[in-house]
Amino acid sequence: MSSATTGALLPAGDLYPFEPAGVTRDPGRSRSGPAERGADVESAQPGAERDAVLAISGVSLRFGGVTALADIDLTVAPGEIRGVIGPNGAGKSSLLNIVSGLYRPSAGHVRIAGVDFTEVPTQRLAHLGVARTFQNLALFGGLTVLENVVMGLTSTIRSGPLGQVLGLPAARREDAANRAKAEAIVAFLHLSGVAHRPAGELSYGLQKRVELARALVARPRLLLLDEPMAGMTATEKQELAAFVREARDTYGTTIVLIEHDIGVVMGLCDRVAVLDYGRKIADGTPHDIAADPLVIDAYLGVAHDADETLEIEEAV
Amino acid sequence: MSISVTPSIERSLPRAAIGGLTVAAILFIAFVVLPSVGSDYLFEAILTPFLALALAGVGLNLLTGYAGQVSLGSAAFMAVGAFAAYNFNLRVPELPFLVSIVLAGLTAAGIGLIFGLPSLRLRGFYLAVSTLAAQFFVQWALTKFGWFSNDNPSGIINAPPLKIASVTFDTAVGRYLFSLGIVTVLTFLAWRLTRAQTGRNFIAVRDNQTAARVIGVPVLRTKLLAFAVSSFIIGVAGVLWAFAYLRTVEPAGFNLDRSFQILFIIIIGGLASIRGAFLGAGFIVVFPLLLSRLGGELLGGIVDSGVVEMSQRIVIGALIILFLIAEPKGLAELGRRAARRLGGRPT
Ligand SMILES: Nc1ncnc2c1ncn2[C@@H]1O[C@H](COP(=O)(O)OP(=O)(O)O)[C@@H](O)[C@H]1O
Ligand SMILES: [Mg+2]
Repeated sequence: MSSATTGALLPAGDLYPFEPAGVTRDPGRSRSGPAERGADVESAQPGAERDAVLAISGVSLRFGGVTALADIDLTVAPGEIRGVIGPNGAGKSSLLNIVSGLYRPSAGHVRIAGVDFTEVPTQRLAHLGVARTFQNLALFGGLTVLENVVMGLTSTIRSGPLGQVLGLPAARREDAANRAKAEAIVAFLHLSGVAHRPAGELSYGLQKRVELARALVARPRLLLLDEPMAGMTATEKQELAAFVREARDTYGTTIVLIEHDIGVVMGLCDRVAVLDYGRKIADGTPHDIAADPLVIDAYLGVAHDADETLEIEEAV
Repeated sequence: MSISVTPSIERSLPRAAIGGLTVAAILFIAFVVLPSVGSDYLFEAILTPFLALALAGVGLNLLTGYAGQVSLGSAAFMAVGAFAAYNFNLRVPELPFLVSIVLAGLTAAGIGLIFGLPSLRLRGFYLAVSTLAAQFFVQWALTKFGWFSNDNPSGIINAPPLKIASVTFDTAVGRYLFSLGIVTVLTFLAWRLTRAQTGRNFIAVRDNQTAARVIGVPVLRTKLLAFAVSSFIIGVAGVLWAFAYLRTVEPAGFNLDRSFQILFIIIIGGLASIRGAFLGAGFIVVFPLLLSRLGGELLGGIVDSGVVEMSQRIVIGALIILFLIAEPKGLAELGRRAARRLGGRPT
């Protein structure tokens, strides 16, 4: 696989058993340089496309009188970067909260890796191969960067408290292995310089990146990112976009990305769904979305000024 | 990348070595030097209560400092430990005393687990109030049911002497060394716990419960484990308090004041810091003694002892408040900063 060439710099490890599939990408569309190392994804066998990593069907969510989501359908194919955009309050975060079991949908169901749920069990999320980041910083401020990342492997821990305290060989081996994995991801995301600093002391942009590292370390099959670039400078955004793409190219991670920066979304995503007032008003390639009059009316034209609209056209 | 890793390792390695040496030096002084030079007064009035309170502080810090669950029931768990040790010792005489202590700790852990159940639903202030239930319930039960104190009419029991195998620790130094041994072992284990995955789980639950849950931290089990481990340690601290320091077992000494005292110890010493529990306990035990000595010398002739005692409380209270404002991270952080300045290291 061509990703082996990219893998030289990156943590060694086995890729996911599935091939990133059903994704056709035009290299010219990607704007950011650093991640582009010619990692192209071969199209897999036909039929794989129907094996969605995540399938949301008919999901509605109500808070009292507020309808946060109405009858949402969304599928995410293996290996794709799936954008979800929409104005504030459109229901994007609520959708991720339903997928991670923090909210219980009023109707509909969620299929993760072939298993159907009406309410996703949060406690089993990591075992299902799902990891996420949060819109608001959700690091463990009292732990160091490295320890935060090690925490991303919690679901794999076998040793009990007694074994850890007594330093039994199995517990020690596990701890050392997890530390090594965390160090590799920390290096991958260029965080080695701050690895031993308390996470709470870092800048906002760095904390966001640590959250990404914590989510990536367990090699999730599905990664949910809720505005990972909010509040970042343009340079930081480009850097993070490169990391996200590289994570997909290297590990075959399937990604759902909520992001406000249209330029980033258009450059990074394979398909984009647009939410507005809890409804999905469009779904397709960035190119289709940018041309959709409904989208332009409901979102792009309103929420963003002319400059950014131009940027979209440039990006597509 | 490798360039940026190296300095942080270089910096952290000698620091760990210095830490290890410091601990070794303190243990050498505590186990070898002090017993040969200290007076009975030092052991009985200062060091033994200091050790018991420091251990209780370590226990509470695991629960409150690390796992973020506020508790006002520490004295209750100390009482459970003390009375359980007394009853195991009394009713199963063939048990070695150390085994009684472990069983007492386990009993306290069990009671702690029960009173930790509200933490599954309550947080912060509400949880703190609910742990008061432990405080009042335990004191009530120990006073109400004579069985616990072997139907002793006064409710005050003389504690049996401390014994390991055939060695009896019945001198002031002996009781101090007995306490020191137990405190050293338990503190070491507690420190190991904080460094392990379980300790990280505690902090994760404290810092962000939702993120912890999503990652797969068993939040409910982690909270209950924190209550159990913390209560075990506090229970053993209660055994030391009653058997090594007071040498009587009575419910009265384990009141709400004591719970607050232990909470102050970890706040002053530093939350989520093992060292902080010792610094805080040192402050709480030694400072009033210094103050009353000073007050006695300056005003002793003029003012009566009641007034001295009252002003002493006020001064300590004011100091606590000052401390919380000036250094909310406690004495441990103050020490860390001083060491850093002395070592001339940046950050
Ligand atoms: N926990 C909640 N309780 C009540 N209302 C909520 C809650 N979470 C989200 N909402 C409401 O649901 C709607 C969608 O919110 P959200 O999913 O956060 O939107 P977005 O992430 O697209 O900005 C908003 O009207 C918001 O007020
Ligand atoms: Mg949101």
